[in-house]
Amino acid sequence: MRHRDPLTDVQRDELDALDRALAGEPVQLEMRELEELVRDVRAGAPEMSPAFAARLEHELQEGFPTSQERVPVSVRRPWADWSGRRWVLLPATGSLAAVVVALVVVFGGTNDTGTFADQASRDADTPSSALTEEASPAAGAADSAGGAGTGGSAGGAADRAAAAPAPSAKSGGATSIAPVPPDPSPGAIAPARTRKVERSAVLALSTPDDDFERTTDAVIATVGRFGGIVASSQIGASDAMGGEASFDLRIPTERLDRALAALSKLGHVTERNQSLQDITANFASAQERLSDARAERRGLLRALARATTQNQIASIKAQLRNVSSRIAGAKGELSSLRRRADLSRVDLTVRGNGEGESGTSGGGSWTPGDAAGDALRVLEVLAGIALVALAVLAPLGLVVAAVVLAVRSGRRRRRESALDPT
Amino acid sequence: MASPPNTSTETFDALYRDCARDMYAYVHTLLGDDASAEDVTALAFERAYRRRATFDDRRGSRRGWLFGIARNAALDELRRRKRSAPILGELPDETTRAPEEEADLAVRRTTVRVALAALAPRERELVALKFHGGLSNAEIAAVLGTSESNAGTRVHRAVSKLREACNAPS
Repeated sequence: MRHRDPLTDVQRDELDALDRALAGEPVQLEMRELEELVRDVRAGAPEMSPAFAARLEHELQEGFPTSQERVPVSVRRPWADWSGRRWVLLPATGSLAAVVVALVVVFGGTNDTGTFADQASRDADTPSSALTEEASPAAGAADSAGGAGTGGSAGGAADRAAAAPAPSAKSGGATSIAPVPPDPSPGAIAPARTRKVERSAVLALSTPDDDFERTTDAVIATVGRFGGIVASSQIGASDAMGGEASFDLRIPTERLDRALAALSKLGHVTERNQSLQDITANFASAQERLSDARAERRGLLRALARATTQNQIASIKAQLRNVSSRIAGAKGELSSLRRRADLSRVDLTVRGNGEGESGTSGGGSWTPGDAAGDALRVLEVLAGIALVALAVLAPLGLVVAAVVLAVRSGRRRRRESALDPT
Repeated sequence: MASPPNTSTETFDALYRDCARDMYAYVHTLLGDDASAEDVTALAFERAYRRRATFDDRRGSRRGWLFGIARNAALDELRRRKRSAPILGELPDETTRAPEEEADLAVRRTTVRVALAALAPRERELVALKFHGGLSNAEIAAVLGTSESNAGTRVHRAVSKLREACNAPS
């Protein structure tokens, strides 16, 4: 602590006179003693030797190169050049450590912090983790129905396509299915040697509010591109909830996998499930009933040709109407089963995620709005890093400052002690 | 607004020529022998030359800054040697060199040197800073790290003691 030592007027006058005498200016008569003192003290001032003056002049011309000849005097060390700047390294080192700690804190806790990188990582992970390929219990039953087909098949290529996803249910014996030869007469009823499998899927997407309408439009366009149809849809837009749309889709089974992949790219996949149901037994049963009814009708027609009485004719006609009704019913059932096998059902839901920016959208092109969103996220992350770094750096900086002050104070005290009488 | 530090070689050269002999006298007064005074003076100039870019004229004059560096170097040397400056050890025998007609003057100046050597090291340093260094009280305050008022008081006290010692009957 510095002391305030106010000078008295007399002291001030004497100091002024001393300064004038040192400057060679005249002083008051009563202060002439100071002039003599200045002269006498200065006359006894130590003077450089000519040799040292010349050496110093030479060093000045050389830019004062570091001379090891003065080692005994200055107690030099290898880091002597940094002797006055070592303390600068302390805050720098502390800052570096704080930044490292901050980075570890921010990027190390990947599960709990909402960083940009984590969000991107989660976006990349979610579809695969949410994708649960479910093998329907009915697939297991396909083994027993696989070789039981005795009726005709009019499925043709659709039947082969329906059999295509069967490998995913390998345990169900799908690999034992023989290839289906081309059906030369689509109208004829051939024995059902291939399994009929009905596939269905549930897909849920989330999308930024800005992209909601564009995503629903893209769903319809994608379905059309793969030859599918939108059986029904319900689209509701809400400012508060960000909008929600439900689609009941029918996708050709042979294109289902590619269509699902394309639909998944339209937004962030929050749910994706697929299921299989074997309908081979139902198909074979309907085929049998149709075949039997047609054989019965042929027999009735032959009997009608041989009928001789009106009663016989009336009775046979009544039976023919009954048979025709059963034939129509069996045909309708076969047609329905064929549609279920040829067209897979997809329940698709699109929800707005409530975010105004589409920075993390996985679908669509990267727009300037996306870029602005990314930039904002980066700034948020940087601000978080800066905050954590500050939280670490502030106390660390105080400690470092206290240490630096203590070191400098101690060094100053030790130096001053050199002037204390021994 | 403070002017940017002038770190040119010409500026340092001018500072050197203005201060070299005064600084040597100051350092010699502190250390008391020629060899150490030469080494410390050269070391102080070397340090000042390397650090000339760090000089901030808002914190004082260049002369005060240079004497501060010299003081630190001299105190480090004193501390290393663990002894105070034996200023009497190398007092030149002025009387043997002075002409006969200047005997009175020589005696008076010897008296002054003896009185100076009798001062406490801190007071002797103040006298050296004032008389040899030619520093103002403000510059002395900057060198010592104290207030100008305190520096003035200490200088006045040291000079008063020197005057008393010179006037004391032998």
